[in-house]
Amino acid sequence: MGCCFSSDSETTDPDGDEVKPLIPDPNQERKPTNGSERNADNLPSNRTDEQALLTVILQRTALNIIDVSAVDSQGMEQHEYMDRARQYSTKLEVLSRTLSQKKPVPLPSLTSQPHQVLAADLVPHADVQQVSKIAAYAYSAISQIKVDAKEELVVQFAIP
Amino acid sequence: MTTALTQGLERIPDQLGYLVISEDGVLASAGELENDEHTAGVIMQMVRTACRFRLHGTAEPPFKRMSVMFEDYVYAVTISGQKVFVVKRQNNQREPVIV
Repeated sequence: MGCCFSSDSETTDPDGDEVKPLIPDPNQERKPTNGSERNADNLPSNRTDEQALLTVILQRTALNIIDVSAVDSQGMEQHEYMDRARQYSTKLEVLSRTLSQKKPVPLPSLTSQPHQVLAADLVPHADVQQVSKIAAYAYSAISQIKVDAKEELVVQFAIP
Repeated sequence: MTTALTQGLERIPDQLGYLVISEDGVLASAGELENDEHTAGVIMQMVRTACRFRLHGTAEPPFKRMSVMFEDYVYAVTISGQKVFVVKRQNNQREPVIV
C-alpha cells in the first residue's frame, strides 16, 4: 500500500512534467494552424502601422525640409514681380516728396541793397521806448490772465 | 564775390564787425564778429522766426531790417540773395530806457 502511494506521487510528478510540454505544444500547434489567420491579422496591423509611420515621416519631412525650388516656384511670377517693383518705386517717390517738403523754407529776400539798409540810421530812442512800453503792457496783461472756474466740464446727462 | 559782399559792410558807419551767413554756414566775418559762429547760429534762428510773421493779406515779410537792440551796440540784420547780412554797430543813443 505504501509502495502504491509512493508510486502515485511519482506518477503525479511525471504527469506534471508531461503536462508542461503539452501547454507550449498546443500553442505551437495553434500558431501554425492559425498562422495564416494571424499572419493575415498581423499583415493589416503591420501595414496600418507602417502606413502611419510613413505618413508621420512624410509630414515631418514636409514640415522640416525647405525646398528652394518649390519656394522659387511658389514665390511669384515675373509679372507680379514687376508690378510690385512699380508699386514700391511709386511709394518711395511719394516719401521722397514728403521728405523734400520737410526741408526748410528758403530765406526770402528782404532787400536788393543790403548795404544801404544796414547803414541806415538805427532805431530811434523814442521808438525803443514805445516798443518797451507796449511789451510791458502785454506782459502785464498776460500775467493778469486767470482761469475763473464756473461749471464742470465733465457732466452726466440722461440721469436715470 | 566775397570782396564785393564785404566792401559795403566795411564802410558802414560805427560798424564793429560783420557776418555774412548762408544756409550752409558763415561765408565771411570780420571785426568783433570774426569767426563768431555761435552768434551766427543764434541770429539765423531769430531771422528765420521773424520771417514767419505775416501781416494780414501780405505774402512777404513786413520788414526790411531786423534790429537786435542792446545798450551799447546793435545787431542790424537783413537778407538779400539767400544770404543773411549782420552788422554790429555802435549804439550812440545812451539814454536809459524807461519802462
